[in-house]
Amino acid sequence: MADATQNVTLTVNGKTITAAKGTLLIEACKQNGIEIPAFCYYPGLSLQGACRMCLVEIEKMPKMQTACTTPVAEGMVVQTETEKVVQARKSTLEILLANHPLDCPVCDAGGECELQDMTYKYGAGESKFIDIKSHRDEQQWSPVIFYDRPRCILCYRCVRVCGEGMDVWALGIQNRGQGSVIAPNQGGKLDCEDCGECIDICPVGALTSSTYRYKTRPWEMTHTGTVCAHCADGCITTVGVRRSDTGSEIVRCDNRDRSGLNDDFLCGKGRFAFDFASSKERVTTPLIKRDGKFVAATWAEAVELVAARFKKAGASLGVIGSNHTTNEENYLLQKFARTVLRTNHIDHHRTADYPSFARAIASSKAQTASLKDVAAASAVLLIGGNPSEEHPFLAWQLRTAVRQHRQKIYVVNAAPIKLKKQAAHFLQVTSGKEGEFAAAFSGDAAALAHLGVDTARFDPFTAALASESSLLVVFGSELRGAGIDKLVATFAPKGAKFLCLGDYANSRGAADMGLFPDLLPGYQKAENSGLALPQMLDAAAAGTFEALWVVGANPAARHADVNAFAKPFLVVQDMFLTETAQHADVFLPASFAYEKAGTVTNTAGDLQRLKKASDVHGVKPDFEIILRIAEKMGADINALVPFRGYTSADAGQSRGPQSGEADRNAVFTEARGLEAKTSPLDPTITLEEIAQTVPGYAVSRLKLLAGEAQPTTLVQIDPAGIASHSELIVPARNGLYASGTLGGYSETLRAMGATHRAAEPVGAD
Amino acid sequence: MQLIQNIAAIAKGMSITFMEMFQPTTVENYPDGKGPMKGAVFQERFRGMHVLQRDEQGLEKCVACFLCAAACPSNCIYIEAADNTAEVRISSAERYAKVYNIDYNRCIFCGYCVEACPTDAITHGHGFELASYNATNLVYRKEQLLAIAPAHQGANAMFNASEPEKAKAQA
Repeated sequence: MADATQNVTLTVNGKTITAAKGTLLIEACKQNGIEIPAFCYYPGLSLQGACRMCLVEIEKMPKMQTACTTPVAEGMVVQTETEKVVQARKSTLEILLANHPLDCPVCDAGGECELQDMTYKYGAGESKFIDIKSHRDEQQWSPVIFYDRPRCILCYRCVRVCGEGMDVWALGIQNRGQGSVIAPNQGGKLDCEDCGECIDICPVGALTSSTYRYKTRPWEMTHTGTVCAHCADGCITTVGVRRSDTGSEIVRCDNRDRSGLNDDFLCGKGRFAFDFASSKERVTTPLIKRDGKFVAATWAEAVELVAARFKKAGASLGVIGSNHTTNEENYLLQKFARTVLRTNHIDHHRTADYPSFARAIASSKAQTASLKDVAAASAVLLIGGNPSEEHPFLAWQLRTAVRQHRQKIYVVNAAPIKLKKQAAHFLQVTSGKEGEFAAAFSGDAAALAHLGVDTARFDPFTAALASESSLLVVFGSELRGAGIDKLVATFAPKGAKFLCLGDYANSRGAADMGLFPDLLPGYQKAENSGLALPQMLDAAAAGTFEALWVVGANPAARHADVNAFAKPFLVVQDMFLTETAQHADVFLPASFAYEKAGTVTNTAGDLQRLKKASDVHGVKPDFEIILRIAEKMGADINALVPFRGYTSADAGQSRGPQSGEADRNAVFTEARGLEAKTSPLDPTITLEEIAQTVPGYAVSRLKLLAGEAQPTTLVQIDPAGIASHSELIVPARNGLYASGTLGGYSETLRAMGATHRAAEPVGAD
Repeated sequence: MQLIQNIAAIAKGMSITFMEMFQPTTVENYPDGKGPMKGAVFQERFRGMHVLQRDEQGLEKCVACFLCAAACPSNCIYIEAADNTAEVRISSAERYAKVYNIDYNRCIFCGYCVEACPTDAITHGHGFELASYNATNLVYRKEQLLAIAPAHQGANAMFNASEPEKAKAQA
């Protein structure tokens, strides 16, 4: 381990460099701009010294040494470019290529292959071997992972990332020496989480994915890094898109640019579950129900009908928002509902008690944690939840932190979750009583009795926990209302940071943007409370609601009474004809996260920018749909989206020919990936309004546009008047192979789930 | 005197013209010449319409590596790749081109695609009569570009077929 307090000085190629004691030679050289090639070395994983590519000459050492396993030492004299080193690299490559097939033209890695690059740079173009290359047929290890043995160069990166990184240990080595092969530990098939990390980390094309295999080549795609549409962690996934006859087709998602807060990590959902976008079941034209049957309609017809019926309904209208739509769309939706439709009957599927969390944080003046803080924390208290299943990136961070700097994890859970293995202390409590832990920690004997833990186990746990100087508290949706208040009040005085776990990509954003009947954006109390989701559906079933507007949600999956959807005039904006959409009177086809711009907030409150990656003919983003309905209803668009002042030249975003100054700005911003292409339908301006009206959202816009996750805070919220509605919270509990409605329409995800476990219970949204 | 000199000069000039009348012609008589080429004659290296070649087994040589499309300066090659399966084997490698279009509106016949091809699948043929009244006809599909299939893949099926089948095929 590198020790930043002590430096050593060494000489590399005649240049004197300084590095922290304990740094590996390969890293020290990299920091000083000296490149040493390597295959098996991967930062963050254990050392292997298998590929022999990084051999360098070190004075006073009789033979060449591997730079990836040699720590720097005082006075070391290293040569990395001598004739001997160059020859060694050439020979290494020649041996690696001895059995490597020359199928670069068909190989998936062709064009982004480390072996190709190295051979081009260091290698000998011709081989001295005349023997026939040994060939083995390709093997399919899981629904998504293929292995092509002859391409493998045995760097063991996949074995290490699977074991150390993912704590799955599904891959291993069979045989020895020349006969060594990478193989699943369980007889020919992988028993793993299908995260696909092994594919991403493979320097060659030995491991390939079924979703991308032989489809196209890396340079043929447009790559856009955007926020994953699945769980609430908000990882960046790089979406590779090709043009197709439907507009564009997503060919792969991976983590190649490593620019997001997720760094090296991406789970199976983010990597493989994107095929719902081009699903056959996807609807791409507006539908109007006539005589009980859906009939294709134009956007103008559909929007006109919706606007007329909404106008007729007046305040007798319920609005159900989404956990998937962007912050801007959610903000616009509630603003439209409250100012134009004049109704407070607006709600969404709540998966965690964010209002109580906001109230607790603001009342105790406590700190919220960004997801980036987890890896750096010295101790983490995890109450409830199951990160390995529901928040794979959070679990990855915890495992990495334990491995790399001995982070201490304290787990309080009703079940022995997978993270128990990494936990320093584990406390199994009665299911449903997780919320009483804080009270028991403060010495409440009754709470301790509820927890069902005897003091012999409880005392050592709390003693160790109390001795931690800094703490990060992560809690799942088991904790609600008073439980959160007590937890925050207990640990806030110790300077702890808090993180509340919810379920969907923008659950936190939906809460922050005020998709509540009683709370406005930023959890400000609304003057008159509307009906909450279940009451709304009851009212609709009773026939008191004229119309119901469901934006990107599927309440019918959890609500048995079909009258709630059949009776009112139902308008649904979604990608598919879901259980809810089946009852719709008007169906408006919407685009999803990868097809629009905007921002989303992950469960830790990190605000990130969604970038438009692909496009499908016929569908529209919810933002545009809402505005079109508003316009047809005769609402003042400028009051809803105040873009008027921002398209002028001084905002630096106009592309008009008369504004030369602005065009120069545009060139500057576009060249740096900062451009926010502003049009009246661009949500960026709404982000400006959000930053002004929602406490904690006034983050650096420049950094946000540059793609950095910006933590928002809750401490400025006014806690007065935030009521707890614990009964309204229905956690989705999406495991590794489920993702609400989206997951249900992803064949790949279903195939992955089918081989590994029984299907997840439906609780979709 | 002057007159005689002029007549002599004309006679001298015309003698060459009359002499050449009995020599064989050297210009190409396209399109009124004989044979399928209609009198057009090409050098071997002439770069005409592309031909996608087949290997000895009659399988397509193209493995859809996209290198031609990458090399193309006018961006006129469009490919969609697909997997070979045991039942449907189109090329000898794992992948084949499901769609292979060349847009001759854009092609400048530079030959970079031929040079880039690692399997010698794409070559320049001698086809040159590409002109069309309709620009959309100039996007050539794989079926139009492929070399003729060998006999065992059914190129001569017509001759081997029985009489009723032959009649059906012609109808």
